[in-house]
Amino acid sequence: MLEQIARVLCWLCVGEIAARSGLLPFPAPVTGLMLLYAELSVRGKLPDDLGILADRLLQFLGMLFVPAGVGVIAYLDVLKTEAMPILTAVIGGTAITLFVTMVVVNRLGIAIAKSHEPESGQLEGAAGDVNS
Amino acid sequence: MSTLSELTSMTWANFADKPVLETGATVFAFLAATRISRLGGNHPLLNPTLLAIILISLGLEATHIPYDVYLRGADVIHFMLGPAVVLLAVPLFRQRAVIRASARLIAVGLAVGLPVGVLSAVGIAWALGASSQTILSLTPKSVTAGIAVGISEQIGGLQTLTIVLVIMTGITGAVLGPIIARLARIDDPRVVGLTMGIASHGIGTARALQISEVAGAFSGLGMGLNGVLTAILLPLIFRLL
Repeated sequence: MLEQIARVLCWLCVGEIAARSGLLPFPAPVTGLMLLYAELSVRGKLPDDLGILADRLLQFLGMLFVPAGVGVIAYLDVLKTEAMPILTAVIGGTAITLFVTMVVVNRLGIAIAKSHEPESGQLEGAAGDVNS
Repeated sequence: MSTLSELTSMTWANFADKPVLETGATVFAFLAATRISRLGGNHPLLNPTLLAIILISLGLEATHIPYDVYLRGADVIHFMLGPAVVLLAVPLFRQRAVIRASARLIAVGLAVGLPVGVLSAVGIAWALGASSQTILSLTPKSVTAGIAVGISEQIGGLQTLTIVLVIMTGITGAVLGPIIARLARIDDPRVVGLTMGIASHGIGTARALQISEVAGAFSGLGMGLNGVLTAILLPLIFRLL
């Protein structure tokens, strides 16, 4: 397990160096994520301990935003004075995104299913495997 | 992300100050929030993160503890966000078979959902006269919070505002996703799940999981890939501007 913690911190560190040196403009953890994914792809399999570590930590991912989120109390004035544009952008923008994306992807899904029937059956099976 | 600088600027003396109180309060608040959410049938409006933020804010208000004192103590929790985001590679890697099998569907979903998500929010906020700080904080609103704070920092937004906007977006998507799917007469769980993940990240994914396992798997994929792609594209675009 310690080895896996070291692996994660190591890739995060590389990401942090890349971000701080201006080498890559991405947030450090995202660079770390991509490097870890690349490493796993090269290895071809997921170490058991790493899977357990990810499941445990990601289980309470929502808690990790709380300290930074509390900082919003300093910006309550901004939220109040700009409530109308913020709420319209969040609710309207999300509704537009959902509708447009669903309709376009659904068209494509129907087109794929029509062009060769077996693929959609395969897909469902694959998704079920992954989730189990 | 500022976690590293915050950590290095912290001496062992104030690390040992008493982070137990702030850390403990955060864990307890989240635990209580999770219970409340479960009592309400895990309704998206009862988002545990948002409830915990409200509980802690009320607590700080009542005890007159300034925010930076709280954050210094709760920094242990805040720091874990970095490693947690790196670990998002694990669920993505587990779903590599699905990514390969439905590559076209996923690619189109991202090609449409990512730009529409960013531009619709930025466009509406700009048209209604929001400040540039608010618009920048709003830009990564559809991205999972861990990645969104990093993007917000890179492009000059306010991290804490971004977190709240991201949660609001997630709740909106979780509530509206199934309604819009019904209105548009779309019942393919892959399409509904993928879209909810792209538009409303983890909170949308939690709701998609209630629809079906397939919807949940595609939603998780949409969330992860949209997060990584947005984190790559937005800072690059802002660098060119």
